[in-house]
Amino acid sequence: MKIHHTNASGWLGNSGKISHPFWVIVQKEVADYVRSWRFVILVALIVLTCAGSMYTALTNFSKAIKPNDPEGTFFFLKLFTITDGTLPSFFVFISFLGPLLGISMGFDAINSEQNRGTLSRVMSQPIHRDYLINAKFVAALTVISVLFFALGFLIIGLGLITIGIPPTAEEFLRMIFFLALSIVYVAFWLNLSILFSVKFRQAATSALAGISVWLFFSVFYNLIINLIAKAFSPSPMATEYQVIGYQKMLLNLMRISPSQLFSEGTTTLLMPSVRSLGPLTMEQVQGAIPSPLPLGQSLLLVWPQVTGLLAGTIVCFALSYVAFMRKEIRSR
Amino acid sequence: MEENFMNVRRILLCLFLSVLTGLSTATAYAASDSNGVTLYTPYTKISVSPGQSIDYSIDVINNSKEQQTAELALSGVPRSWKYQIQSGGWNISQLSILPGEKKSFSLKIEVPYQVNKGNYRFKLTAGANIEPLALTVNIAEQGTYETSFTTDQPNMQGHSGQNFTFRTTLKNQTANQQLYALMADATRGWTVTFKSAGQSVTSVEMEANSSKDITVEITPPAEIGAGTYKIPVSAETSSTSAKLELEVVITGSYSMELTTPTGLLSAEITAGAQKKIQLSVRNTGTSVLSDISLSSSTPSKWQVEFDPKKIDKLLPGKDAQVTATIKADKNAIPGDYVLNLESRTPEVTAKATFRISVQTSMLWGWVGVLIIAAALGSVFWLFRKYGRR
Repeated sequence: MKIHHTNASGWLGNSGKISHPFWVIVQKEVADYVRSWRFVILVALIVLTCAGSMYTALTNFSKAIKPNDPEGTFFFLKLFTITDGTLPSFFVFISFLGPLLGISMGFDAINSEQNRGTLSRVMSQPIHRDYLINAKFVAALTVISVLFFALGFLIIGLGLITIGIPPTAEEFLRMIFFLALSIVYVAFWLNLSILFSVKFRQAATSALAGISVWLFFSVFYNLIINLIAKAFSPSPMATEYQVIGYQKMLLNLMRISPSQLFSEGTTTLLMPSVRSLGPLTMEQVQGAIPSPLPLGQSLLLVWPQVTGLLAGTIVCFALSYVAFMRKEIRSR
Repeated sequence: MEENFMNVRRILLCLFLSVLTGLSTATAYAASDSNGVTLYTPYTKISVSPGQSIDYSIDVINNSKEQQTAELALSGVPRSWKYQIQSGGWNISQLSILPGEKKSFSLKIEVPYQVNKGNYRFKLTAGANIEPLALTVNIAEQGTYETSFTTDQPNMQGHSGQNFTFRTTLKNQTANQQLYALMADATRGWTVTFKSAGQSVTSVEMEANSSKDITVEITPPAEIGAGTYKIPVSAETSSTSAKLELEVVITGSYSMELTTPTGLLSAEITAGAQKKIQLSVRNTGTSVLSDISLSSSTPSKWQVEFDPKKIDKLLPGKDAQVTATIKADKNAIPGDYVLNLESRTPEVTAKATFRISVQTSMLWGWVGVLIIAAALGSVFWLFRKYGRR
């Protein structure tokens, strides 16, 4: 946070009452984020890619409606998922660029203040110490939430203009839950990078650490899983239960990666016909009608994934909180 | 000259002999006439039934040396009979025959329908000097002047909901062409259709002395009890009519319906849990149903139990309540499954297809909430421990 000469009007609420010091810090942080070039570049990147995926989705929209599709009544949701293969769809872009946004917003949260010497000056104010890290997190989360909801509603609005049919209440709720899940996902990477920014004195180190974790999960983790899959692949004579056990083991390994949790969650929320995320036996499939799940059941299906992401976010935050509170912040 | 004279004598002798033999043959044909004209037909006694027509072919033979004219007339014919004398395409009453030749003509007699049994004699006369030809017509049966409407099989048995098809024959035995109106005097609810040559008809036009096959299709009302029902059908014109009574024996129908009291055929169930569904078995037929057994075809590892397992007797129009306890597989995936329930007797089966929405247990949802609450609680604890100092 840069220390400006503050004027009273900026620190006052609408009613003219003096705001709580915590919210004053949050407002300052939000202002800093929005004015920084880093954020503008990232937002431009995300808006451009989303516009691209939106364009492909709208041009291929007529082809995406097939007869006897159990998701036929949910065609508004297809805006987020359809693609013609040239550009990934919206939710794939979010799962790819979201972590980058989170890392870039958090990697220098603490250490850059410390390096500039502003940390001890802020701490000399009559505020609690944890206000700073909490405000950093809340401000970043606010910016991300506003950005994602703005993007989401932009797509809904554009879809309304081009398709001309409003989404149903359930579709709308599914989109809101999808946006909320995206925010949780980005919040995870944000907290991870805040943790690094507390741990590492150099901003570049913490940025590299965050990006390497992201790269590891998005590129190398799949390679490692493939190696394990080959090593443990069951013989052709294996029984059905052995094959299912093997598939379940691979899937559980994949689910260590936050991006896997996110993609499973978004797939279930945006494609109501997804009824199961694991391998299925013939016994489970027999007699089943291909029909969309109600929203409650879809949520229940992805609840473990949501729990995992949320818990990971909270654990990262708790760790960075503890680390920050125990940190020696006076010297350079 | 002597020789010529001898020749002339021989020719004269031959002529004389031939005239002699000609005369003798003429006497052999019929009673010899003064002027040598004879009427001839081979069938002088014919047996026919009423309404038929007789076509005589009669020869007039002129044995004389002159041209003869026959005045043809029929006498002794009853007034209601009609006759025609024709030759060469003309109606004639006189016929001239060259000497030594014969001429044939036809005599057509139409026997009416209304005629008594017996022999009818009449004479064909050809003039004062010619022996008349005696003809006899034997009417083999008592003639009628009416319509007949008959069937070989006037009685049929079946259950309600079945069509009864009677094959009937309508005969116009009157002398005129008739337009028959076909009518059925069935009680309300019955449908009677007349068909002629595959087409549904309400009237048929028939030539005199012709017959037509008419199919009568009878559909009983849907809600009809067992019993014997008489369906009078008739063919009528202003002058003649014929009635026929058809009989349909209804044995009663077997029909059953399996549904729920509300008619709702969907239910929600939690995977691994039980759900009770009220079923109602209804006898929609007209016969008593007995030994109704209930069965189910379910997705694999599902169970359905019925209480009671069997219904001993169900009267027509009544329904019985059955409770089906459905137990879903604990590994069932959320979403819709098809479940078929069936009630069965040897006579009839009824099927109900249910759409069962499986929901997963909320247990793991609450576990997830607990984990998140624990994580938040730890953060809160951290706030309390480090935050305010």
